[in-house]
Amino acid sequence: MADPNFLAGIFQRIDKDRSGSISAHELQEALSNGTWTPFNPETVRMMIGMFDRDNSGTINFQEFQALWKYVTDWQNCFRSYDRDGSGSIDKNELKMALTRFGYRLSDRFYEVLVKKFDRQGKGVVAFDDFIQCCVVLQTLTSAFRMHDTDQDGWIRISYEQFLTLVFSLRS
Amino acid sequence: MSWGGQQHSYGGYNQASQYQPYGQPTAYGQPNYGQPQYGQPHYGQQPPSNQYNYGNPYQQQGPGPGTAPPGYGGAPNMGGSFASGGYGSFQSPAPPGVSPELWDWFQAVDQDKSGKITCQELQQALMNGNWSPFNAETCRLMIGMFDKDRSGTIDVHEFAALWRYIQDWKNCFDRFDTDRSGNIDANELGHAFRTFGYNLSQQFSQLVVQVFDRRGIGRINFDDFIQACVMLKTFTDKFRVKDSQQQGIISISYEEFLEMVLDNTLLGVQK
Repeated sequence: MADPNFLAGIFQRIDKDRSGSISAHELQEALSNGTWTPFNPETVRMMIGMFDRDNSGTINFQEFQALWKYVTDWQNCFRSYDRDGSGSIDKNELKMALTRFGYRLSDRFYEVLVKKFDRQGKGVVAFDDFIQCCVVLQTLTSAFRMHDTDQDGWIRISYEQFLTLVFSLRS
Repeated sequence: MSWGGQQHSYGGYNQASQYQPYGQPTAYGQPNYGQPQYGQPHYGQQPPSNQYNYGNPYQQQGPGPGTAPPGYGGAPNMGGSFASGGYGSFQSPAPPGVSPELWDWFQAVDQDKSGKITCQELQQALMNGNWSPFNAETCRLMIGMFDKDRSGTIDVHEFAALWRYIQDWKNCFDRFDTDRSGNIDANELGHAFRTFGYNLSQQFSQLVVQVFDRRGIGRINFDDFIQACVMLKTFTDKFRVKDSQQQGIISISYEEFLEMVLDNTLLGVQK
């Protein structure tokens, strides 16, 4: 965990209106994905949703410390796959990263993933979209696992079970 | 409302006798409008029309003839309406093919006069029946549906379709908001789902209300109702593609599952 004083300084810089808590807008302005494009608002909403323990819709300093660790962990992870430091990773690098995380997915599916999370239309995935991709994948996988009781990679699911699963999905 | 009077309560829809009570072992419901469009995001669907069809589940049916486009003339004054913006000032004339009334509404919503409506402008213009602001996600969803040129914004021609879409949903919503509270509870939602032809339990309606209920009052607003119905249609279509035997149950692999649910869920959407 980083030094609280150091984090307090960062927190104050992000909290531009000095409200004592960080809004989605402030967080989005503060986050950078290294490519000079605005941070994916969906990723920002998702992160606020994950760390906003008191459901205030904003992030207080305590919540911010956990969020900070989360973002830097992702950054380190992302950098190790972004070999050329371009701020984005291609399909093969994404496959390497997700394989390391333990996912086994077909090449065809990696194409689907890159297509979905490539907001810039360049065939690559930027840092913010990479976080989004990983969190979505993790959420969907654990939902699948709950139904895959024999762990064979297949589920048999009724119409209503399927809808119940889908409507219950939140990050 | 009581469930005992179900048949009776369908008196207004002259096909009540064909209504199949839920609990049929294999059939699952589906909205009865349009063909399933396999392999695409299914955002384009119309809200359910006045006429419901409880017969052949796969029967093709467009919006019923009973759904005349809502009149543009009257200034709507409740839910799902555009907040009043025109002050009667003179504005530039309507472009060809656009009615003056609609042009007035468009200009009121288009606050920066860019000729385009953004998600934010739409959200500011829309109001739920109880004066709560429209949720941003439904606005994004609707912009995405009608943004034909994929600009991320809505021009006046796209706006005409969007406006009609919202009015149709509003008419639909009002039919189920029996106590005119501007929001609907799980019973009313279950009634709506069954009327659309979906074969789902009351527990499911309760879940949907719980998922969308922003204020913890056991009720959902008009905007959430649209979102829930669009989601339900989208995922029913996806399920049906896999359910080639129409058994109401499917076997899917991990990767098939991921592909089915990668889009259009509530992930990344704040309540």
